[in-house]
Amino acid sequence: MIQQIADALVQSWQNFATAFALFVPRLIAATIIFGVGFLVALIFRRLIHQLLVSLHFDRVTHRIGANEMLRNAGMPAAELLIAKIVFWIVWIGFMLSAVDTLQFAPFQGLVDEFFRFVPRFLVALLVFTLGFLIGNFLWRATLLAAVSAGVPGARLLSGSLRILVIGIGVVMALEQLGLATGVVLTAFAITFGALMLGAAIAFGLGGRDAAKQLLERQFRNSRDRDSDAAPHL
Amino acid sequence: MAVGQVDVLVGLPTLNNAATVVNIAKAIHVSFTRDLPRLRTVIINSDAGSTDGTPELIRDASFEHGDMVQTSHSLRTMHRVVTPYHGIPGKNTALQSLFAAAVLTQAETLVVIDPAGPATTAERVTELITPIWRAEVEFLAPRYRRHPRDGALVTQLVRPLVRAVYGVELDEPLGAEFACSGRFASHCLEQDIWQQDAATFAIDLWLRTEAIAHGLTIGQIWRPPTASAAPTTLRQAVRQILLSLLVALRAHESFWHTASDAVKLPTWGDDRTKCPGAAEWDHVALAVQAQHDISEIRPLLEGVLDPAVLSRLVDEIGATDPRLDDELWVRIVYDFLGASNRGSAGMDHLADMFVPIYMWRAARFMSFTAHEPDDVAQTRLNTLCDAFLRLKPLLVNSWTVEV
Repeated sequence: MIQQIADALVQSWQNFATAFALFVPRLIAATIIFGVGFLVALIFRRLIHQLLVSLHFDRVTHRIGANEMLRNAGMPAAELLIAKIVFWIVWIGFMLSAVDTLQFAPFQGLVDEFFRFVPRFLVALLVFTLGFLIGNFLWRATLLAAVSAGVPGARLLSGSLRILVIGIGVVMALEQLGLATGVVLTAFAITFGALMLGAAIAFGLGGRDAAKQLLERQFRNSRDRDSDAAPHL
Repeated sequence: MAVGQVDVLVGLPTLNNAATVVNIAKAIHVSFTRDLPRLRTVIINSDAGSTDGTPELIRDASFEHGDMVQTSHSLRTMHRVVTPYHGIPGKNTALQSLFAAAVLTQAETLVVIDPAGPATTAERVTELITPIWRAEVEFLAPRYRRHPRDGALVTQLVRPLVRAVYGVELDEPLGAEFACSGRFASHCLEQDIWQQDAATFAIDLWLRTEAIAHGLTIGQIWRPPTASAAPTTLRQAVRQILLSLLVALRAHESFWHTASDAVKLPTWGDDRTKCPGAAEWDHVALAVQAQHDISEIRPLLEGVLDPAVLSRLVDEIGATDPRLDDELWVRIVYDFLGASNRGSAGMDHLADMFVPIYMWRAARFMSFTAHEPDDVAQTRLNTLCDAFLRLKPLLVNSWTVEV
């Protein structure tokens, strides 16, 4: 009996020792990967940041209004934000690789999934950026055109257009990421449809007289606003 | 027609000027025959495609009959060339043709006459030609007697800005007429301004500023006031002038950064005309419109104006006791110019944002000076010029600063 217990203990110890002997190198390797990954990610971050600074990326982001939005959201400048995103993508890749080295069953295949996710993430980021750019451009152009033409509620009109376009960009980006696609699309469709229907009913039925007066005033204002330049030259 | 070498080339860039062009051509002819008989001369009409028979009127005009030249005849060959030009219609294309003609004919003097000028006489034409022909000056710009409340776009923006930036007391940076040496015409032809889209409306300002930046001796000459036949709306005019200023400032950046003070220019001719009255326009309505428009585009202005400047502008607009704040106006103009160079927004968008701010300033100036004597209003204009000059370092800083 005692012998059996001793054998079991010895066996357990041997198993533990074997497993430990196998695990320690993997742990050391994972730690090295983790640390090296951090350094590599840091180097990538600095390289990307310096590259964007040397390319005067801040001018582009300033021009398209991204700086203002980021500042309002309490976020860093665009070139730093991009550098940080690159840092985290690289480092997360290394971290998952380190975890994969440990060969924990629940985490098996994470690296493959991550590297399948990265392209989708980048595409989603691109879609969102494009949506943001187009939204901001249309906002600025619409606001200026509406103000020049004397359209009442120019800010509301242009702001709505901006939110709509950026919203579409967000939905498309989320769809690309595969995050709750059905819920997001359904929520967007319902919200957008409800808003448009509500606006159409309100304007068409509730405010026919107001709409008529508004249009009449608009045409009259347009004529008045086109004042002659001669006295100014 | 083979013209050969000439001494003086007078250009008439026309577009539907049938009402005035014959009298002007006759005035030029009389100037040639009576005042400059020993010079080889040519009139070149560069027509942009008139549909009212302008080129035919010039070509067929008889200068041998009636009550015009009967007592004197030119001793040298005098030519008259009428040519439609090809390419994109615009004054820049017409002027390019005239400059090319001046180079081909080796003209020593080039004069461009405003075909809509209401009071162009032979004396006025000779006055334009003589200082250049005698090499007293290389570029001659017109100078008009204005009422201090007239031409706010010139007096509130273009004149003080050009004076401060280029360091030359030029009265009318936008005038249609000018005279220059053949050497300057040749220089201008070599520049790349002609292919730029903005050259269509920016060419007059660019020519003057190019002459200054190129180190030419500049002079001014009194001309009769023109009936500002602006073929455009106020918004379009403000946009075009702002874009013209940007084109000029970008082209001469290395020059104006170091230019200082404001040099007085010699003036030719005599000021025979009486100062006209101020043009009337509804500045109260314009102020209300500007106030509304500025409030609407305020989010866009945040990306262009310095926060302190924007804050002052908003305070001024909403103030119950408004002031005529020259410094604020100058800072706004300089912020816009700096923003354009940094690419804070497209130039068209910046120009659109600038329109209501100009309207606010013009309306404010008119309301302040409406009941003031003319000399007080003129003093205000001079003070504004001083403010532009004093604050010029802000423009240099704003122009070069990294975002």
